[in-house]
Amino acid sequence: MERDIPTYSLFLLIVFVMIPFTIAYYYQLGLKKDIIWSTVRGTAQLFLIGIILTYLFELEPIVGIPLMLSVMITVATFHARKKGKELPHVFISILLGLITIELIVLAMWLGFGMISFTPEEVIPMSGMVIGNSMVAMGLVLERMKSEFEQSRGKILAALSLGATPSQASHITVRKTLNAALIPNIDQLKTIGLVQLPGMMTGLILGGVSPIVAIKYQLVISISIFSTVSLSAIIISLIMYRYFYNNQMQLLTLEEIKKSS
Amino acid sequence: MSNHLFELSQINKRVVSNVSFTMKEKERLVIFGPSGAGKSTLLHLFNRMEDPDAGVIYYKDKELNTYSIPTLRKEVGLVLQEPHLFPGTVEDNLKFGPSLFDEWSPNQGEKLLGYVNLSKEYLNKDVTELSGGQRQRVSLARTLANNPEVLLLDEPTSSLDEQNIELIEHDLQRLVEEEHVSLVLVTHSMQQAKRLGTTGIYMEEGKIKEHGQMEKLLSDPETEELKQFLQSNSI
Ligand SMILES: Nc1ncnc2c1ncn2[C@@H]1O[C@H](COP(=O)(O)OP(=O)(O)OP(=O)(O)O)[C@@H](O)[C@H]1O
Ligand SMILES: [Mg+2]
Repeated sequence: MERDIPTYSLFLLIVFVMIPFTIAYYYQLGLKKDIIWSTVRGTAQLFLIGIILTYLFELEPIVGIPLMLSVMITVATFHARKKGKELPHVFISILLGLITIELIVLAMWLGFGMISFTPEEVIPMSGMVIGNSMVAMGLVLERMKSEFEQSRGKILAALSLGATPSQASHITVRKTLNAALIPNIDQLKTIGLVQLPGMMTGLILGGVSPIVAIKYQLVISISIFSTVSLSAIIISLIMYRYFYNNQMQLLTLEEIKKSS
Repeated sequence: MSNHLFELSQINKRVVSNVSFTMKEKERLVIFGPSGAGKSTLLHLFNRMEDPDAGVIYYKDKELNTYSIPTLRKEVGLVLQEPHLFPGTVEDNLKFGPSLFDEWSPNQGEKLLGYVNLSKEYLNKDVTELSGGQRQRVSLARTLANNPEVLLLDEPTSSLDEQNIELIEHDLQRLVEEEHVSLVLVTHSMQQAKRLGTTGIYMEEGKIKEHGQMEKLLSDPETEELKQFLQSNSI
């Protein structure tokens, strides 16, 4: 017998949303609109996805899977891009980065027989990889801008000593990656201890044995860890160049905006 | 072949407007003038930290943009107005430039610190432990580590005391004479201009108001602007 959550009890979740909302209201955090909007939007999105997934799962995998993946990657790209709108070619860079990562991870999963080529397995697993990579890329973009701003003097000093942009950006890129990857590393460290990871929780609730659930979780956790690291590195290595012109001169964000 | 080291022709960049002058090999040129006159901007053009919006710059009779940029910046060393050091030790900072060109040898450190009146104990000091004046001296030594032929200094002693200024000026003089280094110096101090400069350029609002022998500029200024500037910065 399949387990289900009664629909009416979902409405009780509103109580949970009210807690941060009340706090935000009380401390005048200015997040009220954000919280309401995110909740409404998130809920609507999930129901919509549920409906779409039902249809897609009935399509031929060879049609349904690429279709769904394209949609996911496109949405993720639009979202991550927001953090680096000033930078040139940011959309195409993120898009190609996400496609590369998805292809690599898919090849690994299917190649080693970890999952089968069915929408039920590929889509949720890919969703987690793409979602986490999207967040990491956004973080890198945001962080990179502030690091370049903060390290301006040091970068100018390095350039004036004869460093190329790649040599002069070394410290800045390293700091960016460090900052962007800390949540990722922390998550791997505490997995299973602090938080029972989402997928495992889902599988166990769905009636799968804990051991099988752990196996899936291991695959997904490690996949997420590697793809997040990889996507952060890819986007850093592509984007730092745009902080310089061809004459090895450091640009300000204003100048970058103007030139793109 | 002329013996011009630098020739600037009709240069425009931000406030700097229509500036032309030449500089000879081994010349010690001082650029001075009020804050915001465009001194730093002008200095940054010499090693292509910035490029002019209009005009041409020649270095050793060839257009500046025909040189490889990293090599040019090594050869024409700039000490920025703000002494931003890299995280790590003083030695890490000194070897940054030479390491880029595989030219660092560890025994250089002591000599370089000697130029800026710091003992070799400072080599292993973390830069966070340095005072403002010490940072400025390390920043100067860091550029000297690259063995430049031309040295561009942007107010290199602005946060030092009299005694250190004297010591460093003395070493700079020695360096310039012994190693045949040419010098372009931006300074607020007329004493320093007098002691280190052979020729001078007085700038105001991006324009060259007077250009000539340093001694002559100080003792017998021609323009009203320079006369007034010297009066308010009286020696
Ligand atoms: N990176 C920059 N972008 C835009 N404007 C700049 C920049 N750097 C300097 N300026 C402007 O150009 C003008 C000249 O600045 P510059 O730094 O060359 O003056 P300066 O003569 O070196 O002054 P100071 O003696 O205060 O160092 C100033 O009006 C300054 O605000
Ligand atoms: Mg200046």
